Amino acid sequence: MIAIIDYKMGNIKSLENALDFLGCESCVTNQAQTILNADKIILPGVGAFDVAMKNLQKYNIMDSLNKAVFEKNIPILGICLGMQILVTVGEENGPTDGLGWINGTVKRFSIGDSKIRIPHIGFNSVDFEDKSPNLFEGLTKGSDFYFVHSYHMICENNSDVSSWTQYGEKFVSSVQKGNIFGTQFHPEKSQSNGLKLLKNFISLPRDNKQC
Amino acid sequence: MLKNRLIFTLIYNNESYMLSRNFRIQTVGDLDWLKEYYNFNAIAFSIDELVVLNVERKQKNIENFSKNLIQLSKNCFIPISAGGGIRSLEDAYKLLNSGVDKLVINTPIIENPELVSSLARTFGSQCIIASIDCKKEGNNYTVYIQNGLKNTGLTMDEVLQKAEKLGMGEIYLTSIERDGTGQGLDMELIKRAGNLTTLPIIASGGVGKYEHFIECMKNGYAVATANIYNFIVDGLIKARQSIQRQNIELATWDYDLQSLHNYFKKNNLIV
Repeated sequence: MIAIIDYKMGNIKSLENALDFLGCESCVTNQAQTILNADKIILPGVGAFDVAMKNLQKYNIMDSLNKAVFEKNIPILGICLGMQILVTVGEENGPTDGLGWINGTVKRFSIGDSKIRIPHIGFNSVDFEDKSPNLFEGLTKGSDFYFVHSYHMICENNSDVSSWTQYGEKFVSSVQKGNIFGTQFHPEKSQSNGLKLLKNFISLPRDNKQC
Repeated sequence: MLKNRLIFTLIYNNESYMLSRNFRIQTVGDLDWLKEYYNFNAIAFSIDELVVLNVERKQKNIENFSKNLIQLSKNCFIPISAGGGIRSLEDAYKLLNSGVDKLVINTPIIENPELVSSLARTFGSQCIIASIDCKKEGNNYTVYIQNGLKNTGLTMDEVLQKAEKLGMGEIYLTSIERDGTGQGLDMELIKRAGNLTTLPIIASGGVGKYEHFIECMKNGYAVATANIYNFIVDGLIKARQSIQRQNIELATWDYDLQSLHNYFKKNNLIV
C-alpha cells in the first residue's frame, strides 16, 4: 500500500491515476496509523513552500513522517513542491523552515541575461546518475520529464543529487539520500517515462539502507 | 534542453465536446465518443499537454464538468489544465481533485481579481493560467471576457500586466478572429505579448496546417490547437511527426501505453 500524503496541496488525483494504472494500491491520507503502516510514501505538492509547511503542521503530519522515514525506514518520494520541502530552508514568500532532511535551500530561478521564461514549464531532459537503487532504471540518459515550477533546489552536498537539468542554469532535478527520494519534475505527468520511474519507486525493497 | 509544447484543447459544453469557430460552437461528441471512437488515450501520447475549457453560456455546471474530467484524466499521463466557471477556491479544489493540474482563468481576471490572487497564493503561480481572448481593433488588441461576449474596454497589454500582478504563471492567448478558421495564428499578437511578458505563452486560435505550428514554435511559444483536423484519427500524430521533421525539438517518450504494459510484464514488474 502506498500512502499519498493529503495536506491539501495539489493534484492528488493525477498521482492516484498513475498508481492505478501501475496496478498499485494507494490511499490518500494524513492519518498517522496509515502512514506508518505504508510500504511506500509519496509526498505530492503543487503550491507554495510556506503554505505546504503550514499545512503539514496543521494536519499533524510532521511526526508521522519523521517516524515513518527515520524509524521505520519507509521509502518516501517527494514530487515537485513535495521534493522542495525536504530541504532546510525555502525562500518562497519569505524564509521558511523545511523538513530539513536534505541540506540545502530552495530559491527562485533568476532570469539574468538568459532569455528564459519563468515558470519553467514543459518537458526537459534529465541527466541522471546511476545511483543504487536507481529510480531511472530502464530509462535513457537525458530522458524527458515534465516540469512546472519557478523555484529550484540547491543542495549542499552533491552526493544527494541524482540528476541535473539545464534551464538558464544547471539545476537539481532530483535527489536521493538513503530512503529519501525527490523529483522536481512530475513523473505522474511524464507519459511512459514517468510511469516507469514511479514503477521503479514502487518496486524498491523495504529494507533500504537508513540515511 | 526545454522542449517545445504541442497542446490539444478540448472545448466542453454541457457534457459534450465541441468545435469552435470565432467562439461559435458545435458538437463533436460526448465523453464515450472521445474515449471509444476517437481513442483519446492513445492520441494523448502524441501531445504534451491537454487543455479543457468549459464554454457553457449560462450557469456553468462545475459538478458535471469535474465528473467529465475525472473520466478524461484516467490513463492520461500528461498535464491537464482546465477552466471555465471557476468562481471560488472550492471550485478550484474540485477541479484539482478531478485529475486537473493547472487552472485556466478568464473572466475573474477582470471581475474578481481578489480570487485570482488568492488562487495564485494558495496553489502557486505555476498552477494558474491567464486565458486572454483578443480582437484586433486598430493598432491595439481589445480583450473580451465571458466566452468572448463582453468587451472589457481594456487592451491586451493592460490585461497582461494585470495577470502578472495577480501572480498568474502562464498566458493562454487566443485570437478570437482566427479561432477555428485554420488561417494561421496571429503572430503579431503573440510576438507583442511575448515582448511584454517573461511568462510562458501558449498561442491559440487559427492553426489549420502543420506550418502554422512551426513558425510559432520557432519563436519559442507553445501552440494549442482545437481544430477539426485533430479529430481525424491520426491528425495529431501526424502533426507531431511533421513538427519534428522541421528540426523543432519535442519531447520523446520510450513507450506508448500498450508497449509499456508489455515491458512491465516482461520484466515481472506487475505488482
